[in-house]
This record gives sequence, structure tokens and C-alpha cells, in this order.
Amino acid sequence: MNECERIQESIGRWLDGELNSAESERVRAHVGSCPECRATQQKLEKIELALRSDLVAQAAKLEFAPFWRALERRISEPRPWYQEWRDRLGVAPRSAWAVPALIALLLVLWSFDSYFPGWRGGVATRSGFAAVDSIDAHGHNVALWRENETKTTVIWLYEDQEGEHETAEEAPKSGPAF
Amino acid sequence: MKRLKKHLSLALLFSLVSVAAVVRVAAADKDPQSVQVTIGTILVSNQSDEFDAKLKSMEKQLRVLKYRSYRLLKDETQNVPWRGNKSFEIPGGRSLNVAPQEFRNNRIALKVRLTERDKPLLDTTVTVPNKGNFLYLGGPPHEGGTLVLSISAAVQ
Amino acid sequence: MALSDWELVQKCQAGEMTAFQELVSRYHQKVYVVILGLLRNREDALEVSQETFFRAFRKIGGFQGGSSFYTWIYRIAVNLAIDAQRRQKRNPLDFRESMDGLLESQDEVARDPFADVHDRELRENLIKAINDLTPEHKAVIVLRTIEGLSYKDIGEILGCSEGTVMSRLHYARKKLHDKLSAFL
Repeated sequence: MNECERIQESIGRWLDGELNSAESERVRAHVGSCPECRATQQKLEKIELALRSDLVAQAAKLEFAPFWRALERRISEPRPWYQEWRDRLGVAPRSAWAVPALIALLLVLWSFDSYFPGWRGGVATRSGFAAVDSIDAHGHNVALWRENETKTTVIWLYEDQEGEHETAEEAPKSGPAF
Repeated sequence: MKRLKKHLSLALLFSLVSVAAVVRVAAADKDPQSVQVTIGTILVSNQSDEFDAKLKSMEKQLRVLKYRSYRLLKDETQNVPWRGNKSFEIPGGRSLNVAPQEFRNNRIALKVRLTERDKPLLDTTVTVPNKGNFLYLGGPPHEGGTLVLSISAAVQ
Repeated sequence: MALSDWELVQKCQAGEMTAFQELVSRYHQKVYVVILGLLRNREDALEVSQETFFRAFRKIGGFQGGSSFYTWIYRIAVNLAIDAQRRQKRNPLDFRESMDGLLESQDEVARDPFADVHDRELRENLIKAINDLTPEHKAVIVLRTIEGLSYKDIGEILGCSEGTVMSRLHYARKKLHDKLSAFL
């Protein structure tokens, strides 16, 4: 980048008074001696003068009294409900994306196990019962028990064969005290 | 225009994410390569009051059996190939054969057979949560107490 | 002795409507000129100016003086103006109407003893060039040019850093310079 290009990058800030004194002096000195950079400075000033005079002149015509009367009316009038909601949404338009983003996040979490089975890590989550779909005890007595608090499922196989005890009162010899 | 494009891109991304999530959940789980099955052989009895420290993690579940003594005899883990099967040696000439059947909704269906000297004692099909709660299979007598087998599985 | 803006705000917060009226009288033209610079349409600019002060009235209870009153009111004004620009469905008819409105004012400007006389072509093309800027770039150039605000104040109003203000201003000026060179 040559000196003119460097100076032209800084002319705007120089005109705005945003350069420190050393930088400001450097730009001023260069612009004073460089016709091209001086032309750039003058064009920028002309543009901004044109913009300013156009707008400031129009603003000067805005009278306070009618402006205030209209504002007072607006303040005292009740606002329609849809305008209230439009204002709230307009204030934070990005928040409108919060709901779909939350739905997407919930769907991703819901499907996470499908993509990454066991993602919850090495320690078992201990969630959910083990279920027993079918049992064939080949003639033995068998009991199936589930305990809700600890989510424990137990299949208990009794030592004695079916029919070995003559009466229902004679309980099997082995077995937990469920 | 830029703002419209930005919002359209975000809307498209959101739609793709939602569709992918829904389709994935709706589809059946892919078959895993193998299942890591862990069988714990626990001797329970009322002959003494002891609780093996190695069984601490499953104390709450075991205590529902209301025995006084709990001792871990053996803890064995094997990788069982999907659609294959593996046998676990159980004291007293017994054997537990485990064959994974299905993996769906993060739960593993297992076919389990307990045999004693090659004689089937129990055939059961169970579904356990992947890396989740154990299933307990108890009853075979051993050394004055009773064997309880803890069965758990994790897909690989 | 005139009350400061902050003293007037405190009186507003205490329920004195006359204090709010005084604030409006101090800033209504400043707010209007910035909005007009962004919207380039007098009716829209008036509407948005009214809305700015209406919102300020509703929110003044929460104003704690963390920033100056004028940067606070400009922030409301610029945000509303940028929203209005995005809602505006510009078509050639609207554009011409707004241009006619502004060109009509040129004769008035010519008669205005405080304004310089400017080339009609420059002003027509200036309006087009300004309209081609994004709302954010328009905002920095208007706030700097019309109100002479510092980069720090502009950053506070627009909710961006001074560096962003600087780069947006540089970009906007370069665009205007490139488009209007032939007329300067």
C-alpha cells in the first residue's frame, strides 16, 4: 500500500476528528501537498455538506406544537392488541427463532440415542426396567418379580420340579423373601 | 435481501435438522456389531451377615431379595457377536448361554438359556436397557446358599 | 437555569408531563432529521419520529442514566427506522414520490438563507446512492454527517464497537465517493 492509499484510508477519520495528534498532523501535511488526496477530501466534504443541508433544512420546518399535539394524542389513546404484540416481536426479532430452535434442540436430543447409542457414558444410567418377553422353565416353578423403586427385575427359578409338592401349603424350600 | 436469505437459510437448516431427527427415530436402530454382556455370579444366603463391597453398585437392587449375605463369586464380560451367542460358566456345572436378538429404542433383546450339565433349566427372552439396569436370574442352589446371576448388556 | 436532560428524565419518571414535553422539544428535530436521512420519506419519517417518542415515554421509567438521554433516544429512533426500512416495499412509484418530495424541497433550500446552493444532479444521485446503502451503513453516515456524533456515541446507539463504526463509515464513504465522483 503506497502513502496515498494509506492516507485515503484515514481521511474520513481525520475529518471526523478521530485521529490522534500525530496521525492527524501526518494526514494534514500529506493532503496539503497531494492534489489527489486533497481532491478526495474535498469530494467527501461536498457529499456530506449536500446530505446535511438537504436534511437539516427539512428538519427545521418541523414545528413543535403540532408534533407535540399528535404525540399527546398517541400517548393517551389505547393501543390495539396486535400492535402491542408486533412491538414486542419487533423489539427482539431474533427471539422469534427461540421457539423453532427449542423444538429442533428437543428433536435432536430425542434422536441422539439413535445416532450415538450409549452416549450417556460408561456409568449405566439405571433407567428403565429389564423386561421379560418369554419364559420356559422346563417343568420348574418360576417366579417373575419387579420392584418399582429400584427398577429391579428378577426371574427366580425354584429348585423343586412342578408337581413334587402334594399341597399348595408346602412352599418351595429355596427362594427369596419377596 | 441478505436478511431474507439469512432467515431462509436458518429455516432450511431447522427443517433439515427436524426431518433428520424424526426420520432417524422412526427408523429401526442399526444392528450393532456386537454386544458386551456382563454376567455377575453372586452367592446369596442367610448364613451370615455380609455384603460384598464389590457389589456396592447394585446393593439397592440385591437387597430386595431380602437375604442376609451377598458375595460376588465371579464377574465375567464377553463380547457376543450380533446374531451369535456366547456361554458363561456358572458354578455347579452350569452354563448360561446368551444370544443377542434385537436392538431397538436403545434396548437389547437377549435369548438366555441356563443349563445344568447340558440339561436346560430355563429358556427366556429378555429385553434389557442398553448400559442400563441389570436383570437378575436366581434360584440354583450352591454351597448352602443360592446363586443369583446379574445380566447386563451394552452394544458395541 | 435550564434543567439537564437527566433532571428532566427524573421529573418524567416522577410523573411530570411538562418535563417530557421539554425533552421532546429539545430533540424532536434532531430525531426527525436522522430518521429522514434513513427513510428519505417525510410522512414515514414523521410517523417513526412520533413512534420514537411514544416508545421513549413508555420506557422512560426504566431509563437509569447509564447512557446519555440523546444516545438512548437515538437508539430507539434508529432501530425503528431500520425496521421501517425493512418493511418498506420500495417500488419505482414510491421512490419517485420520495424523490419528488425531496427535490421539491430543493427550491425551498435554495430560498433558505442558511443552506448552500447544490447541483440538482448531485442531489438526485446522492439520494440514489444513499438508498443503495444497507440500513446499517446508512445509519452510521447519517449519525456522523448530520449529528456529528463521535464513533463512541454512534457505537453506543447502534450497539456495535467503535471499530465497526469506523469500518462501516469508511465503506459508506467509499461507496458514495465512487458513485458520485462524476458529479463532484
